[in-house]
Amino acid sequence: MSESNPTGLAAVPDTRSFIRLTLDDRQWLVPRTEAQGLASLLDLDREVRAPHSLGALGIAGEWWPVYCLSGELRRLPGLPAARQVCLLLNNGVDQLGLACDQVDTVTESIHLHPVPVCMTPPDSPILALAVLERGLGCVTTTEQLARRIATFKDDANG
Amino acid sequence: MAENGSGSNAWLLALDPSLRAAVGERELIQLIETPTLLEVPLSPYYCRQVLVWNQILLPVMNLANGLRRQPAAPDQSRLAGIFGYQLMPGAKPAYGALLLAGIPERIRVADDQACLLPKRPAGWRAVAIACFKHGGHPIPVLDLPHLFSGALRSVLTSRGNLKGHSASLGAPFTQLWT
Repeated sequence: MSESNPTGLAAVPDTRSFIRLTLDDRQWLVPRTEAQGLASLLDLDREVRAPHSLGALGIAGEWWPVYCLSGELRRLPGLPAARQVCLLLNNGVDQLGLACDQVDTVTESIHLHPVPVCMTPPDSPILALAVLERGLGCVTTTEQLARRIATFKDDANG
Repeated sequence: MAENGSGSNAWLLALDPSLRAAVGERELIQLIETPTLLEVPLSPYYCRQVLVWNQILLPVMNLANGLRRQPAAPDQSRLAGIFGYQLMPGAKPAYGALLLAGIPERIRVADDQACLLPKRPAGWRAVAIACFKHGGHPIPVLDLPHLFSGALRSVLTSRGNLKGHSASLGAPFTQLWT
């Protein structure tokens, strides 16, 4: 961890190497070190359900709960047609799959900007912002995503 | 800021067609017509966008929407004012942007124009540091450090339990904008 978030809640990842996951029209960036690979959602077992998940993928003898989130990181009850690929995320503590429209490696050089204090809600999963060729990227981590998923209520869409 | 015994210079801002506010002459840095605005997920409805200015990302606030508690679709076609402020004397300058409905008007404000804040919209108490009468209307003076450090969020989450800051609303403008 290298840089404090102005909110004081979490630190910006100490990396400039990110994987971009596209959710709706939003670009989210996670550290490349936390991306374990891609999997097909065709293999999703909907009978194996962690809370708020769509099901799970069985990979190398382990179950990876798979979640489907909107571009604003709200829980989606089903799998939109655009969500065709599953990004597997693992930070050593949290292990999950995220259904994405698209996943790619950020190849452009990026500069991380702090999120302005007046636009940061409490417990925001956005740790920094980056201006990309295709718009704005929001930096987050597996830990932040897992924490957000854990706060979803049973009777709401997150 | 130019000032003398007869008052201080200020900028009169049109936050929307009917809502006015003012800032000190030195606080308005630049106007940008039809700025390129980038949307930030999970941000409050009155501050959904940022713009890139001098290689830094600035929050872009629609203060009129915030004060009126009127969520609206992000607007890409307006005028943005870049404002500078200091969180404390001697601190590095910080910047933020406000969406404006028109070109600001430069006016002169004297201490004897001081008046009470308008009662509506209710959020003025949280974002204004003073108020003066101009053209028969009360014009709140924005407290930019307070505003860009999240004052409006605390107002909008307080559900009517409004708390203004401790600054005296009767502060002489010649002292306010030095």
